[in-house]
Amino acid sequence: MVTTAALSSSFKPFSLIAEVTHRCPLHCLYCSNPLELQRTEQELTTADWVRVFEQAAQLGMLHVHLTGGEPLARKDLPQLIGAARAAGLYVNMITSGIGLSAERLATLVDAGLEHLQLSFQDIDEASANHIAGSRVHALKLALVPILKRFPLAFTVNLVVHRMNLDRLGAFIALAEELAPDRLEIAHVQYYGWALKNRSLLMPTQEQVDRSIPIVEAAKARLKGKIHLEAVFPDYYANFPKACVGGWGRQMMLIDPTGQAMPCHAAAVIPGLRFDSVREHDLAWLWRDSPAFNRFRGDGWMPETCLACPRKERDFGGCRCQAFLLTGDDEAIDPVCGFSPHHSLLQTLRAATPELLPVWRDSSVSRT
Amino acid sequence: MDLNATPRLAPGCRLHPTEPVLLVPEGTLNLAGPARDILTQLDGKQDVAAIVDQLLRQYAGAGRGELTGDVLNLLNRLEQRGLVRA
Repeated sequence: MVTTAALSSSFKPFSLIAEVTHRCPLHCLYCSNPLELQRTEQELTTADWVRVFEQAAQLGMLHVHLTGGEPLARKDLPQLIGAARAAGLYVNMITSGIGLSAERLATLVDAGLEHLQLSFQDIDEASANHIAGSRVHALKLALVPILKRFPLAFTVNLVVHRMNLDRLGAFIALAEELAPDRLEIAHVQYYGWALKNRSLLMPTQEQVDRSIPIVEAAKARLKGKIHLEAVFPDYYANFPKACVGGWGRQMMLIDPTGQAMPCHAAAVIPGLRFDSVREHDLAWLWRDSPAFNRFRGDGWMPETCLACPRKERDFGGCRCQAFLLTGDDEAIDPVCGFSPHHSLLQTLRAATPELLPVWRDSSVSRT
Repeated sequence: MDLNATPRLAPGCRLHPTEPVLLVPEGTLNLAGPARDILTQLDGKQDVAAIVDQLLRQYAGAGRGELTGDVLNLLNRLEQRGLVRA
């Protein structure tokens, strides 16, 4: 058994996910934000974030991913980008693009923005707007030629699920027309609002099987032109993913109020308390905070995992998923074929969708 | 890419100021051996032949043929990934 004290000093974090706000003009059915969104008045100040970025770089982190919510909802975004870049971080922004004009983008690029990720919800406007819970598809399309005028890496992210996976071929063709540097095909991960809408969103096994050769063909066709990355849903696998590269091993997420978390979904795990950047520096949060040490090493693992050589590859899979599906945060990740709950996933993907979608609550976005 | 190409790093790609690392969207590439010195030369104006000349001054004793092969090999691989443009 490896002690967490020995481990916490040996892991070096690579990237910081900065959820600078939970405010967002979109209400996507698959949003991974927590159901309890953080309110505007509790958000970290500019000075807080500047300090966080400096400490992140000192800890050896290389990338910062500005996300939310919608990062553009923060008026101090140019200062945040400037501070992150000045600290030495590579600055990526994940955005809906809503509210982004050429003038505003010029300010952000001047401040140091290096990579922008724009997601699309479907090929068809009505369906895309339905999934996003707002009329944004046409605005996103109109933004692309503006983006391309700037010296910026541009990624198109296609978020796929039961409602659009059958149109994947045409969806990829749309992305190709937008001519990004990178294309990501990302299956919905079932946390937050996506979990609430799981029965609507989770593709059938047949849909997933049909999509695989489409992705492979696109990869071959686009080689040397657009770098394509596809993330498959682990609900369909027999072994779990090394979630976030392993708990407390590679990344740190700071939520809008300053709570430091090992992943997006960690707040679902009962009894886990998150310390804040308001009271502690990032080095302490990374090395010593109880939340980051909770599932480091193998001390928490069930017997089956302890004896399994794959524990060095998947580090015990996803703790949030284990809890959400079994009610036990130390259970074997049910994606694993060795889990006594593995059959649960077969039941879930065969399920008939419930009829009513739930869009994320918009009340916090009003300020 | 050939000796007349004038390569540059793609938008959103840059060398880390101190570490032997190329920062790229969603990742990092560890640069082994002379890779960092090669990429430092890319400015979109200098051609590959001039880059090789420069490296030959830096690495005294290296053979031109072998070095040219190494440079083209690295640049072509990065071009395939969309990280370098000719």
